[in-house]
Amino acid sequence: MRPPAPEDFRSRLRSAAVTARVGLWLGICFGIAFVTGLISHYAQNVDHPVPFPTWPAWGYRVTQGLHVVTGTAAVPLLLVKLWTVYPLLFRRPERGVRRLLLDALERGSIAVLVASAVFQLATGVLNTAQWYPWDFSFRASHYALAWVAIGSLAVHVAVKLPIIRRALTSDIESTVDDRPTATEPSALSRRGLVRTALLASGVAALAVAGGTVPWLRRVSVLAVRSGEGPQGVPINKSAAAAHITDELVGPAYRLEVVYADRNVSLTREDLQAMEQRTQSLPIACVEGWSAGAEWRGVRVRDLLDLVGAPRSRDVDVYSLQPSGPYRHTVLQGNFADDDRTLVALALHGEPLSRDHGEPARLIAPDRPGVLQTKWLARLEVPA
Amino acid sequence: MTRWRWVLGVAGGLAAAYGGWLAVSRGHDHLDLAVWLAGGVLLHDGVLAGTVLVLGAVLLRVLPRAAKAPAAVGAVVLGSLTLLAVPVLGRFGARADNPTLLDRGYWAGWLVLAGLTVAGVVTASLLRSRRR
Repeated sequence: MRPPAPEDFRSRLRSAAVTARVGLWLGICFGIAFVTGLISHYAQNVDHPVPFPTWPAWGYRVTQGLHVVTGTAAVPLLLVKLWTVYPLLFRRPERGVRRLLLDALERGSIAVLVASAVFQLATGVLNTAQWYPWDFSFRASHYALAWVAIGSLAVHVAVKLPIIRRALTSDIESTVDDRPTATEPSALSRRGLVRTALLASGVAALAVAGGTVPWLRRVSVLAVRSGEGPQGVPINKSAAAAHITDELVGPAYRLEVVYADRNVSLTREDLQAMEQRTQSLPIACVEGWSAGAEWRGVRVRDLLDLVGAPRSRDVDVYSLQPSGPYRHTVLQGNFADDDRTLVALALHGEPLSRDHGEPARLIAPDRPGVLQTKWLARLEVPA
Repeated sequence: MTRWRWVLGVAGGLAAAYGGWLAVSRGHDHLDLAVWLAGGVLLHDGVLAGTVLVLGAVLLRVLPRAAKAPAAVGAVVLGSLTLLAVPVLGRFGARADNPTLLDRGYWAGWLVLAGLTVAGVVTASLLRSRRR
């Protein structure tokens, strides 16, 4: 048996006319996922040379929801697009040193593109379901490979630009850039295949979008969250997983607020005795799910004023949890000063449940969920 | 157009190189990362594409003419959705301490999706055969 050759693939659906059209939509999905991914990465950074905006409160909810939905919608598009160009994988090497080199270079760039694109979609989809069957850091590698994917996509578009332009500006039935043997009619028309790819992509988007769009919950059969949970809000990390014990949140609980050599130590009752404010702020997770919620508690700025901490200074936030990457996070100055940023004591009218961060948690507008520290122990403004 | 092609190509090359540098220089398990990068391509080009070729050839042979196009549409939709559903159907990331994670009836949802797809394919096939 000999290996397959491009001539063996005869369907006229495997045409640049189809590839370019599906590829256009795929490129749009990758573009949106790349930009929203950069936003999410920046939001999670400790240093914000350009302050991350606190307005609108639902900003991160929308960008991260878009990130996950467009990434999911890209999966059927990528599969169909790769199907249309599959015969080219079996191309014979070119003759002549110069052509051979150019050909190797182009194949190499496409290998990088396909590897990084498949990697981004696969790890992204697995991450939404919190399934991590790998040893590398998800955030660091998803970020690194995002640059590889978008960069090699730009190279690919630059190399193919004449074909792409010809394909998109002429009729879909045009055969100008087809392989000579790709002439066999199929059950589906070319337009039918493009529409099928878009249909599959749309169904995929709908199947997960309910994780962040409440009125789509019922149709989103593959969403990683139903939207239900204690006090009507799902949780990402449970108290048990964070090793929060009864002693830690018992009568000995204190919230420390520190600035330079000044500090106050507040019991639950002390916190309750301060002016309580109510805010509607979404909790929006990096995994793409989100939920609107009504929080009640003490303004962070009011607490910082107790120790005379100056405005627009970053705040070190510590959780009671004994370990884990989010035990210590930084609340940037513009978030700390925002009137809507609370140390929440209650959610939807009831005291916070243990899994939602009892007795006190941070909630700020337009921020990734992982930074909305639960089981608050200490707020500290360095001198 | 040539100038813009070069600008796009060079900018893309730089972005990809930056990503490559990030992947190598930041604390990763490099071997595992390489396995996943190569594994994705091999699984697609070797296993998935091959399976689709064989399944497509079989389906096109056994199905009546009027059912071929609807079946192809249904296969693309249900096939890609099923691939996407693997992590939730298997509930591999589920945790005993967090009942709010992966808390839907995913098999029931998938069956509804499959049922709707099959119903759509059958209806379209019948309509097409009657039209002939």
